[in-house]
Order: sequence, then structure tokens, then C-alpha cells
Amino acid sequence: MDWLQFVLAPQVINGLSIGVAVVLMALGLTIIFGLLDVINMAHGEFYALGAFVAVALIGMGLSFWLALLVTPVLLALVGYLSERTLVQRVFHSKDRHTLTLLLTFGLGVVMEDALKIVFGANPLRLEAPIQGATEMLGLFFPHYRLFVMLFGGAVIAAVWLLVFRTPLGAMVRAAAFDRHMTASLGVPVHKVYAATFAFGVALAALAGVLLAPMYSVFPTMGRDFVFIAFSVVIIGGMGSIKGAVLAGLVLTQVQSISSLWISPVWSDPLLFGIMVLVLVWRPQGLFGRLGHA
Amino acid sequence: MKTVFIATLTTLAAAAAFAQSTPIRIGVVTPLSGTYAGIGQQVRWGLDLAAREINAAGGVAGRQLELIYEDEEANPAVAVQKAEKLFQVSKVDFLTGTVNSGSTLAVGQVAERNGKLMATTVSFADSITGDKCSPNVFRVNARAGMQSAALADWMATTRPNANVFYLGPDYEMGRSTVAAFKSAAEGKGAKSAGEVFAPLDNKDYSPYFGQIRSSRPTVIYTSVAGNDTVRLFNQMAEFGVSRNVQVVGASGTVTSQNLAAIGRNADGFVTGVGYSPLIDSPENKRFVTAFEAANKALPDLYGTDSYGVLYLYKAAVEKARSTETDRVREAMRGMSWSTPQGVKTIRAGDHQAMQDMYAVRVNSGKFEIVGRVSAAAAIGPDACTRF
Repeated sequence: MDWLQFVLAPQVINGLSIGVAVVLMALGLTIIFGLLDVINMAHGEFYALGAFVAVALIGMGLSFWLALLVTPVLLALVGYLSERTLVQRVFHSKDRHTLTLLLTFGLGVVMEDALKIVFGANPLRLEAPIQGATEMLGLFFPHYRLFVMLFGGAVIAAVWLLVFRTPLGAMVRAAAFDRHMTASLGVPVHKVYAATFAFGVALAALAGVLLAPMYSVFPTMGRDFVFIAFSVVIIGGMGSIKGAVLAGLVLTQVQSISSLWISPVWSDPLLFGIMVLVLVWRPQGLFGRLGHA
Repeated sequence: MKTVFIATLTTLAAAAAFAQSTPIRIGVVTPLSGTYAGIGQQVRWGLDLAAREINAAGGVAGRQLELIYEDEEANPAVAVQKAEKLFQVSKVDFLTGTVNSGSTLAVGQVAERNGKLMATTVSFADSITGDKCSPNVFRVNARAGMQSAALADWMATTRPNANVFYLGPDYEMGRSTVAAFKSAAEGKGAKSAGEVFAPLDNKDYSPYFGQIRSSRPTVIYTSVAGNDTVRLFNQMAEFGVSRNVQVVGASGTVTSQNLAAIGRNADGFVTGVGYSPLIDSPENKRFVTAFEAANKALPDLYGTDSYGVLYLYKAAVEKARSTETDRVREAMRGMSWSTPQGVKTIRAGDHQAMQDMYAVRVNSGKFEIVGRVSAAAAIGPDACTRF
């Protein structure tokens, strides 16, 4: 009983807050892949940039809540410009997969080093806007983590509504299904592409701000979630929103609970092992691609 | 008669050679770039300050000191090349500066092959003056075991019979620091509440907090470092894990590099270490003032021990009346010399410097001294069997 209360239950709850973080990262990745057919290797660095921009904004006197609002908007702008000026240039070549992969990878490296030059390599701290914790039935709930779970859950629901229940979402899904047909129907496909890229980047930035008080801010922080986010996207199905949410929540629980019995160092190999099995059994992932299912 | 004459002549020649005015060259192989650049910076500041002081006061037996720096990028393979170059091309008489314990061990072998002496002022690994000791290698800083001894001693007096939970990073350094402190602590009556090894660069420590809480420790020992410390400490505060629990750790856990990002969550942390700028002695105060004036930064343990090594070399060369390897080695063994931390003595059996050790507590960004262990109590057994 003691074990259930002190060991298993907190593990499940903590796993859930990491799960929401991973899902936010994976959503941006999977939307960009589902629509643009681009694997955004700079996704982790956009996440880091989001956190640093928030630190800078708060340093200029903004409140955390305002920064949480403003940062994704600013990063959406950065995302939009990167798509129009960089990704767009190699988008129509025959080697789109290779070229966009290399391009975004290079962009990520440049961004990480730029952050090092501007902010220095030492970690920075963002104070959590909600302090304190509630103790209930011997369990400990830090208030900020509860907020992250609720807010993150709301964002995920909003993304789903936006993509599947609005005319804007319908345009996105149509462009993902058949870009030529969609273009001939008068939809500005180029703008839809750039806007989708921007939206994915904004989600990464939002995750960056949201998680900064828990995980601290430093130039290489982008690597933290990007590997697990990639595996989530691969297992859930490249370009599937449902898959990203489901795989994200389940996999972080598997990692979190398994670390009770196996050395935590093995929880990453476990995750990648599951990924390999899923690839062998269902190479397209658990769910179908955006606009195709 | 003839023999006496020749002997006199040889002595005269040696004395003449010794009193020559060419500078004594000291090679410094230290990381000036990469992960450990911050430590290399302190090493350089300490050595430069000592060399300036010694040269201004007339040098070593009348000869000036000349420092020749090489960047080893915290990479043992690079360190070996640079050390070889300093011995072969620059013809240095003595070598110092290595930071990474792997670099120190590797460069020690280069020194042995070249028949020269070297000293580390930073590396912690016990093996350097233990089972991997070398007749050509000296260590003037405190090794890991001495730091553990100081911390265990403080814990035994302030938290007798502590129930300790150990949390280390899952690689060589983490496992060896936990093992070393555990044996030191249990030797003084502490019990183990449990242990966990988290991956390096771990994101979230909260999955371990259930285990920690259910084992109800009175003390948590950790040897995570760098940014891992920032996360661990902030998350422990977030979950109230460190409430009513004393957090202690390795001396590299909280440093001036990550202290700002931990903020008040670092307050109360205690570690065992060989130096604090707050040591209350005239030698230290004079040193801290000079160091701060020259570098616009406070000295840390690395800067201080690097400052100290040149005074050891000066004392040894003046006692040996030579820079020749065997004679300087003989002079250094058992030698006592003055440093900002007080008088240190090189133990002849393993070439490890003996010094008083301190328990320091973080309080509002400062390392306050809360305990002190004599050199004799901290040094531990001589595990070197090679010489």
C-alpha cells in the first residue's frame, strides 16, 4: 500500500506531466511532416529559442503569462520566415526529403550556437509563476505541474479542434491530401504551407516556455525532448495527430513506470526498442497520415 | 688529489649552470576551449599570478619563470600530443595544468618517458596518486577521497547516524563518488536509505522522488554536476523533497557556473572541498585581493591550487639547487610549503599533497566554511605501491 501510494502513484502523475510536454513537441513535428512532408530537424532548437525568448521578454519586465502568450506569436513569425526564405527554396526539388532534412539540421546547429553566443553556455532560470504544492493522500502535487497538465491538455484539444473542425483546418487537410487539386480550388497552398510550418514552430516554442520553469534554460535544451518526440511521431504514425497524442502519453508512462524496475538508463533503449518493433510490424505507424485517414 | 680537483670542477660547473640566467620553462597543458574552459581559465589566472609574483621577487634561484601554454581541449589524446611537444620542442623543465583526470594519467606517462616531472592542480580521481601513481607525477590539490572525508566528518557531527539516500549520474564519476562517500559515511555510522543512478543530462528527476520519499532519508547525497544540478535542485524544491532533509554532495555539484541558475534552492547545500575564498588567514586574504585585482574574479579551488604549485616548484628547485629531475623529485618528496590554504606537505609515499579540508555550505551565493578536518585525518591510506 505504501508502495502504491508513495512510489507508483507519483510515478504515473509525473509521467503524465512529461507526457503532455512530449505531446506538445510531437504535435508540431507531426503536423509539419503530415502537411509539408518535411522532417523538421530544427524542431528542438525552436523549442529552445522559445524558452530563451521568454527569458529575454521576462527580463525586459513582461509577466510570465504575457510571455507565454507573446513568445509563440513571435516564434510563429520566425517559423513563417524560415519556411518562406529557406525551406521553400528546396521544397520542389527531387531530393526534397534529403535537402529539407539537411537544411533544417543545419538551421538547428546554427540556432544552437547563436544561442550560446548571445546568452552564454551556463544554464538560466525561469521562476515558476505559480509556486507551492498541494499534499493530498500523501501525494505531492506541485501547482505549476498541475497547471502544465491542464493547460497542455487544453492546447492539445484546441489543436485538434482547429485541424478537424474549422474551415482553416479543412484547407490544411485538403492541401496535405492533394496539393494540386487544392491549389486549383483557389486555396493559396504556399501560404498554407508557410502558416503550417509557423504553427508547428509556435507549438514547439509554447512547449519551451511552458517547460522552462521545470527544466531550466540552456542552449542545448532542444536535444532533450526531440528524440523522444521523433519516436512518438514514428510510432504514432508520421503526420497523425491522434497517433502523436496517444503514443506520447503511453510511451512516457512506459518509461516512467519501467524505471521503477529497470535502471533509468535503460528507459531510452526501451523506447527505441518499441519503435523498432512498431516499424517492423507496421512501418506506417499506428495511425494514418493527416488528410489521408 | 686529481679526483678532488675534478670533483670540485664538476661542482663548480654545476653551480655555474644552476646560476645561469636563462629562464626556467614550465609547460602548461590545460583546456583553454571546450567544456572545461572555465576551469582552464582559473588555472591560467592562478599560474600567471604566481609567476608574476615570483619573477618580480627575483625568480627561482635567480632565474625567471617562463610559462608556455598549450590548449588540450579537455581531451586526453590532444593532451598527450601537446605534452610531448612541450617536452621535445620547447624543452620545458616541468609540466602542469591538466584538468581531466584522464589527461593527467596520460600526460603522467609522457612525463615518465621524457624523464621529467609534472603536477596536477585540478584532477580529483583517487587513482592518480593511488593504484595508478607514477614517480614522476605529483598532486597539489585534494583528491576525491579527501573531499568525502571532510564531508563525512561534518555529517557525523551535525547529523549523527544519518539515513542517507544516494543519487548519482550513471557513469564512472557518478558511481565512484557515490561509492567513496558511502564508505566514508558508513565508517562514521551513517545508514543507507537507498541509491539511484540517473542518466547523464537527465530531464526530470521527479520519477525518483517517490523512491526517495518512501525511504524517508535525513540526508540526500548527490554527485550530479553542471545543468543536471540545476534541474535536480529546482525539482526537489518544487516537490518539497528537500524539505527537512539535508542535501550534501560532491564538490563539483554546485559551482560558480551553475549557482546563479539554482538560486536560493542551493542554500543549505554542504560539500567537502579543499578551498574557499572565505578561509580566514592573512595569506589567503592577501592572495584573494591580488587575484581579484588581476582577474576581476574570485579564485576558486582550481585557481588557488594552480597558484600554489609554482611555489612548490620554486621551493623544491631552490632546495635541490638544480632543475634536474631526480634531484627535484627528492626535494619535493616530504616537502612542506606555504599556500593560500596554509602549509601543505607532499606525502613521500604517493606524491599526494596533504592539507586541511573544509566542509562548506552555500548561503546566498557564498560558500561559508562550516567544518574543518585536519590534513592527517583526511588523507587516508597510501595506496601507491610503485615507488
